[in-house]
Amino acid sequence: MEPVGITGTDTRRELTLNMGPQHPATHGVLRLTLDLDGEMVVKCTPHVGYLHRGIEKLAESRTYQGVMPLTDRLDYVASVGNNIGYCLAVERLFGIEAPERAQYLRTIVFEMSRICSHLLWLATHALDIGAMTVFLYCFREREWLLDIFETICGARLTVSYPRIGGVLQDMEPEVLESLDAFTRMFPGKILEYETLIDKNRIWLQRTQGVGVIPAKEAIRWGLTGPTLRGSGVSYDLRRDAPYDAYDRVEFDVPIGKNGDVYDRYRCRMEELRQSNRIIQQCLAALPAGDILAHDAPDLDMPLAGKKELVPEMSLGNASIGFGDAVPVAPKGEIYSAVEVPKGELGFYLMSDGTGNPCRMRVRAPSYVHAGALAKMCEGAFIADVIAVIGSIDIVMGECDR
Amino acid sequence: MRRRVPDFVRKILFVEILKGLALTFRTMLKPPVTRQYPRERRDPKPGFRGQHAFVRNPETNREKCVACQKCATVCPSRCISIRYETDEHGVRHLTKYEIDALRCIFCGYCESVCPVCAIVLTETYEYASYSREGFVYDRERLLHNWDRFAAQLKRPAYFNMFWRPAGADVKRLAVVRRLQQPVPVRQTPDAGIAGTREPRAGQGQAPTQGDR
Ligand code: SF4
Ligand code: SF4
Repeated sequence: MEPVGITGTDTRRELTLNMGPQHPATHGVLRLTLDLDGEMVVKCTPHVGYLHRGIEKLAESRTYQGVMPLTDRLDYVASVGNNIGYCLAVERLFGIEAPERAQYLRTIVFEMSRICSHLLWLATHALDIGAMTVFLYCFREREWLLDIFETICGARLTVSYPRIGGVLQDMEPEVLESLDAFTRMFPGKILEYETLIDKNRIWLQRTQGVGVIPAKEAIRWGLTGPTLRGSGVSYDLRRDAPYDAYDRVEFDVPIGKNGDVYDRYRCRMEELRQSNRIIQQCLAALPAGDILAHDAPDLDMPLAGKKELVPEMSLGNASIGFGDAVPVAPKGEIYSAVEVPKGELGFYLMSDGTGNPCRMRVRAPSYVHAGALAKMCEGAFIADVIAVIGSIDIVMGECDR
Repeated sequence: MRRRVPDFVRKILFVEILKGLALTFRTMLKPPVTRQYPRERRDPKPGFRGQHAFVRNPETNREKCVACQKCATVCPSRCISIRYETDEHGVRHLTKYEIDALRCIFCGYCESVCPVCAIVLTETYEYASYSREGFVYDRERLLHNWDRFAAQLKRPAYFNMFWRPAGADVKRLAVVRRLQQPVPVRQTPDAGIAGTREPRAGQGQAPTQGDR
């Protein structure tokens, strides 16, 4: 037999196929090289870095406040999650605590972004597998939430609504009403999506038993979020290391059993319901009060290691004299993680007392999940690779940073 | 879950697929939720972070900027550049103000820190240009942006929510921002509407040349 493909010395006809970085089903610019035996994937190698913008390095030359809008560009589908993750890390470093109302508002927007993200995931995932209708249905509901984001902060995707020590501004009663109407309407819509695909035999055949990763393997690969919970590991930072108002609301952490594409899908669908529940509880319990901590740094905090003291400041604080240098941030380092829709998003910040982080490192779930693709795609068919990529809900903005 | 119909009957009759199709057909009869974009435009919400503009001060008919440089300092993408001169009384006079909108990330920090409510992000979201220079906004262009925006504003007065965010601690705001009233806008029909094409470089409006 003639040698075929790259290995081509034996009778196995192996072919190396480049999938991406411009493939529409790879959700951005993920590139996979697939070693194929017929239609079977023998080896799958993910390549990342096509969307690298150096956010971690940029952060070293921006003030703590200035980094915040950059974090929008990590997981641009659910940017609030990144904002809050970053703000919490800085707050823990600075020793600030957001007022209670701000905590509740943040929890609300966090869950709104989770719903947005899961809706977009469901839309594109279903579209990849071939269910076109779900796509537009999901976008219909997502639009409602994006409109709310636009009302409260002026942007729909890259919102920058949270601030270090609180939020940008309070939500008006009309916004809260609109949100309340959404939470009452939304469970019915989830049922609609499920009517379309949940029991559909094509959907089941394309997802069940595909891209299986057992619990043990999932933990070893460092998976988090619904991708891990689909394998039956109950791990959710909102419950296990609560932040903001998550310790004051009740919700379940749905888990799967088989660790296949279908179970991950089920987990996310349940999470939609739980998010809706959390928003409802937060709306009911929303306390009155401030929205920004009094000791939160100013938006125009200085980049250098000291504040330029103006006379009014030394009047207000007798211990500081005019012209004294005050460190802007405490020295130290911190790792703080939140549960974003994709998994565990961690921020590691190192401070040397100046107004900018000395080093920032982002632990992005999508990056870790991209690595596990190699494992999940082994032995699958090419068409299943698409389903698997969809099921880990990868966002390259976060993966490549 | 109801289990009255045996599983194999459901399978043969394609029950789940028929249910899905029923939903699709029901939805087909509802009014469409999509917009036919160039013909139907959606109004952005007040406070939308769109194209930059200098608020035209009704008293002086010029921008209000006092060249304090706060916006340039706080801008995360460093896309604002400011030059000023100081006269004999120590008053700063703006000589150059430029925003490179291609680098801007529309975070809204500039309008949040401006102590005199001079720079705003207007609700204009259609501002394509044929050249890179068309996205470098200098003082005249920023004022022109304001006129263009004000002309099509459907409200009688403009107030930017970033000037005094709801629930914010007023004591932390600069004095002008504490007292800032909504800016009355005069609808001038000849100022062009949002969405009309920007002039090509070299035609009509002098294109702003980014000096380097
Ligand atoms: S919106 Fe943000 S990035 Fe754009 S000019 Fe203002 S501060 Fe700079
Ligand atoms: S912050 Fe306002 S007043 Fe200061 S330089 Fe910028 S636009 Fe001018």
